[in-house]
Amino acid sequence: MTGKRLIAAALILALAQIGFLGWIIAGRAAILRDGKEVLLKVEPVDPRDLLRGDYVNLGYDISSIAPDLIANRPTGQATSSDGRLTVRLKKGDDGYWRPVTAWLGKAPSPAASDDEADIAGHIAAGWDLAGDAPISADYGIERFYLPEGEGIAIQNDMRVRPFGMRVALAGDGTAQIKALVDGDRTLFEEPLY
Amino acid sequence: MANYASKVRQDIMRWRQAGLVDAATAATLLSDVEANERRALSFGAILAMMAALLLGAAILIFVAANWEAIPRLARVLLLFAVILAGYVGGALLKLRGQAAAGEALWIVAAAAFGGSIALVGQMYHLPGDETSALVTWGIGTAVAAVALRSNPLTVAAVGIADAWLVLKVAYGFDMYRSFAFPHLFVVMAAALYGISFWTRSQQARHLIMLSLILYAVLLALDHDTLAVAIGLAVLSAAAFAAAVAAPEPVERIVGLGGRLPLHGFIGFLTALVIIQFDRAAGSGFGLAAAVALAGIAAAIVFGGRESRGLRWLAYLGFAFELLVIYGVMMETMLGTAGFFLAAALILGLLAFVIIRVERRMAGVATQAGAVQ
Repeated sequence: MTGKRLIAAALILALAQIGFLGWIIAGRAAILRDGKEVLLKVEPVDPRDLLRGDYVNLGYDISSIAPDLIANRPTGQATSSDGRLTVRLKKGDDGYWRPVTAWLGKAPSPAASDDEADIAGHIAAGWDLAGDAPISADYGIERFYLPEGEGIAIQNDMRVRPFGMRVALAGDGTAQIKALVDGDRTLFEEPLY
Repeated sequence: MANYASKVRQDIMRWRQAGLVDAATAATLLSDVEANERRALSFGAILAMMAALLLGAAILIFVAANWEAIPRLARVLLLFAVILAGYVGGALLKLRGQAAAGEALWIVAAAAFGGSIALVGQMYHLPGDETSALVTWGIGTAVAAVALRSNPLTVAAVGIADAWLVLKVAYGFDMYRSFAFPHLFVVMAAALYGISFWTRSQQARHLIMLSLILYAVLLALDHDTLAVAIGLAVLSAAAFAAAVAAPEPVERIVGLGGRLPLHGFIGFLTALVIIQFDRAAGSGFGLAAAVALAGIAAAIVFGGRESRGLRWLAYLGFAFELLVIYGVMMETMLGTAGFFLAAALILGLLAFVIIRVERRMAGVATQAGAVQ
């Protein structure tokens, strides 16, 4: 490889890698800035082992979805296949948003009123669609990274009182964590960058 | 390495004076020694690479600490600057003839790319475990290896793929329900193997071979142990046989510097260790032990002359085999005194075999020399 070509390759490579990272940052910042904000109720997933290194694993009340909420539940199919789940949320009187309907795949029509929003989730294969037992879904907001040394206190508080998560939703339903709230108090608010 | 080169140079001068070689041959030999000397890894190059790895680790841990003292946008920009300076600066150093330092800077840049992925994940609480970040990092590093035609970056990409495999399986074992075994690793290994020819990275190919054996071991632990282990043994033996029967065509395809027999033998021994542990309490142990011993003997007979490393691996395998057989067959019958007696017998037998084989190999080499 000649000299100029090697340097050009190195430069293009560096810019491509930086550009890739910048693209992810820009996409996430756009959701934070323009996305529709909803408040979700946090429910610890595993009381023993919330804290893993520098983040906590979180569950939400929308993490388990009753099968009869799924509007387009296929008739001949007893179990779910690996794929997208869209959940329509509606704002409750207490400020928390709760699921009203869900669809396998995308929603047939966009959320109509200001009190409704769609969140894109994912379900694994093999959940029983025919029964009454809730289905577990994840939304890409199940991890919350904490500043060093602050994990234990948060974890302990989370066991005794409910926490909430302010989440920004993009037009396609992609969820982005915005802030962790403890009652009326905002604990960590994410800056755009 | 420098010591060896200067020693050979002295020897060549002596042979020249003694009239053993003519001036032209001496000059050819000297130039060959010089050419190969430059290719060998120097102490400085190794130190540069170690420094780069430490710096890379420092970057990754710096990010992992989630330290709030510096605003995170500043941290992102810092990492971007390291990526840019690392790749471009490394290229400049390489053009100036500082190949080792240049490659080291590229490794630092690749580490900064990995650190940036982790930092972005932290900033936006991105989902998914570390394995998905590793995939992105590995692809980025492999692309860098291709773009810069870099041997160390190829090795680094293989290392990241290995880390992905191990983490994926470790998380899988962690969970209660069954998990999808990361068979994608085979695709990654094949792609990196192809890349390694473009980047002229024989080291990466050796690492891939060993990684594939690791993959088979993990697969055996997770799946039907016996079937996978037998498959590994058969494949390894086939690779060994092909490499020994037609060394040159096989070498042209695999490009392992003539060490495919060694990899085949390692795979074979690994497989038989698994089989024997699996069968230790059941039937078929004797058969497995006999196959292992026969394989070791065959390896020495067919591949031992060309490779000292293979011979010593065979001795190691033989010693291990004796211990395993002792452990399974005799342990119940003998006490401590018996153990010492058995150990003495095993060591004596081992020494006898090693001395005999080494003498034969030396004899064969002398005979071959005399014929020429």
